Amino acid sequence: MAFYENTIVAKQDLAEKELNTIKDKYNEVINSSSGKVIKIEQWGLLNLANKIKNYKKGFYIHYKFEGNNKTLNEFKKKVKVDNSIIRHLTVKYKKLDTKNEFFKKDIKEN
Amino acid sequence: MKRKNKKFQKKGSSSLNKLSLFQKNDGKFSKKCPLSVKNAPIVDYKNISLLKKYVSDNGKIISSKITSVSFGKQKKLTKEIKKAKILGLL
Repeated sequence: MAFYENTIVAKQDLAEKELNTIKDKYNEVINSSSGKVIKIEQWGLLNLANKIKNYKKGFYIHYKFEGNNKTLNEFKKKVKVDNSIIRHLTVKYKKLDTKNEFFKKDIKEN
Repeated sequence: MKRKNKKFQKKGSSSLNKLSLFQKNDGKFSKKCPLSVKNAPIVDYKNISLLKKYVSDNGKIISSKITSVSFGKQKKLTKEIKKAKILGLL
């Protein structure tokens, strides 16, 4: 088992209900495939640096979880099919720091 | 006399703040790496305010000759900047 971080960029024109369903959906995907979610962060609506598929803004959702090869494969399969997600990125870490939140101030302002 | 004094002050202060390619490095030039000091900021793809300092206006990574970042930290910087670019943060 190793530690991973995963961020998802969703489309800007989604309602709050749809965002919550996306958030819960991938939470279940990780938990059901021999993984364990440690923390979920929502960075809110942020401006993209350059246009991606004609979108200027995106909702960012950030997962910190523990898992293995199975969870990563399952996650990739689900994300690739999903139309409401523009980009995603997974990074492996030896240790997770759950204290620092770099985007916390931005959420309060919005 | 007053004007001359002002010019000297400007030269000393502005040489270290700007990190552009075409800037002349007049005056002092610090050779210590700013990222390997004690209590240095974390180099991470989420820490955008830090990464923005080491990227030019056109989105290019600035070389370590100008920023005086150590070799190991420069390698890490480039990796984290590229991750941030994938997510559209930079």
